[in-house]
Amino acid sequence: MEKKVVPEELNFQNNDKMNLTMIPSRYARFMRTCVIWQFIRFVVLNIKMLIVVRKSH
Amino acid sequence: MARLVVLGGGVSGHTAATFAAKWLGSAHEVVVVTPNSQWNWIPSNIWVGVGDMSKQDVVFDLAPVYRKGNITYKQAKAVSLNPEGKEGADTPFVTIEYTGQGKEGQTEEVTYDYVINATGPKLNFAATPGLGDANGLGEYTVSVCTADHAVHASHELDRCIEKMQKGERQKFLIGTGHGMCTCQGAAFEYAFNIESKLRKAGVREMADIKWISNEAFLGDFGMGGLHMKVNGYVVSSKLFAESLYTERNVDWIIGAHVNKVEKGKAHYELLDGTMGEEEFDFAMLIPPFAGVGLKAYGKDGSDITDQLFAPNGLMKVDADYTPKPYSEWTASDWPRTYQSPAYKNIFAVGIAFNPPHLISKPAKSPNGTPINPTPPRTGMPAGITGKAVAHSVCDLITKGEGVQLHEASMAEMGAACVASAGRGLLTGTAAAMTVYPVVPDFDRFPGTGRDTDYTFGEIGLAGHWIKQVLHYLFIYKAKLKTGWTLIPE
Repeated sequence: MEKKVVPEELNFQNNDKMNLTMIPSRYARFMRTCVIWQFIRFVVLNIKMLIVVRKSH
Repeated sequence: MARLVVLGGGVSGHTAATFAAKWLGSAHEVVVVTPNSQWNWIPSNIWVGVGDMSKQDVVFDLAPVYRKGNITYKQAKAVSLNPEGKEGADTPFVTIEYTGQGKEGQTEEVTYDYVINATGPKLNFAATPGLGDANGLGEYTVSVCTADHAVHASHELDRCIEKMQKGERQKFLIGTGHGMCTCQGAAFEYAFNIESKLRKAGVREMADIKWISNEAFLGDFGMGGLHMKVNGYVVSSKLFAESLYTERNVDWIIGAHVNKVEKGKAHYELLDGTMGEEEFDFAMLIPPFAGVGLKAYGKDGSDITDQLFAPNGLMKVDADYTPKPYSEWTASDWPRTYQSPAYKNIFAVGIAFNPPHLISKPAKSPNGTPINPTPPRTGMPAGITGKAVAHSVCDLITKGEGVQLHEASMAEMGAACVASAGRGLLTGTAAAMTVYPVVPDFDRFPGTGRDTDYTFGEIGLAGHWIKQVLHYLFIYKAKLKTGWTLIPE
């Protein structure tokens, strides 16, 4: 059988604590620094934060 | 002419003083007493601590800003309060001791009509043997609590990187240095900025990074954690924190009270009562906070410190300090006006006010050692409480006593927090979070204690951009540049 290594998943085997968590997939990691998507999130996050700021004053 | 004296020039004190001076104009006097000659945007110290920013990027001189703001600036530390004056003089005053302006060591009595205590925390390194002493940070660990500490931390980190480049494995221990610490967020940011820095330096595989914290679970942050909506689920911050630590291979020890630090070794006690020790080559352990040690004296010179301050040195305000179990804590325990119940012309804001209790669930080891985070009051809550109290004092001065004081309960305000996990215009990431309200209110929001429409968090490049923008925005605001009042706290 061919060995299939998924680099993002290797840390699951570091210890029992890490084994019971969730790890982002390659896609989720890519989206974190995808400039177009993150620009949209930048706008959305700023609006959401401003709403919280407004509710707090 | 009335005189408002603001003790402290950090986020809370600076906000209170600058707004009060603007609203009062030249008809009244605002005095700031702060031992520092420079203002420090503390959230960016973590970038100084990994060498991504210089000290000059995060500080500026206070004197020209206060001149511009029509604020009397005394570079001094407050020593004591005399709220009733002294024999032969009824006017209340603060005794200060100069630390600069060519008057080092001289004392002065500064009379006041109103005083706002915004002295911030004393970094209580001495609480943990080996972490430091009464003079501050010790020799075995580093700190990012001040800009100078962060510069030192950066140099020590560079030494470790050099060793790793030569093939010597290094152990990093980052977190809290006592069971009663707050500011886990700063340590969290520093841990992941170090991890990011080591990856960029190509030595990540030579480093073992471990987190040690007094939190009962990862993602507590002194707020009992938070629940947020993600992909159709409402989930605890614990899941996301554990996910990030695992993704970046940062191991963790939680529920830990670090009780002793030696060269290259930290000793700790866990919530289950067991003892342990962790070796390190580089450690950044946040110290617990305490009040700065202000004393208070009656007219006859008697010590009345216990009337104004709690035993931890933080000032008592309009909170409900009645001891009660966790199940009976309510949002209404938290202060609304920050006015001293003993003297109506004294207020305390930011870290200087004594919270009624923890926010996180209290916990003790079987040995009786309390191991739980204390409530965070930095950042947005510090700014909002400073501004609210400045507003109240201005109304008291201009409209007279009997006005309705402005309110800013942490159980009714939200907070936005951006925690960096690595810097870089296109490669940086940060966790952008908001909580509403900061103190959970289980009567209003049964289940999570917070409004999950306004409590959220996500990690990504957008968060990094926000943190970077906030860095420039808040320094711009603190310098009182054009339009500064339009920038919210």
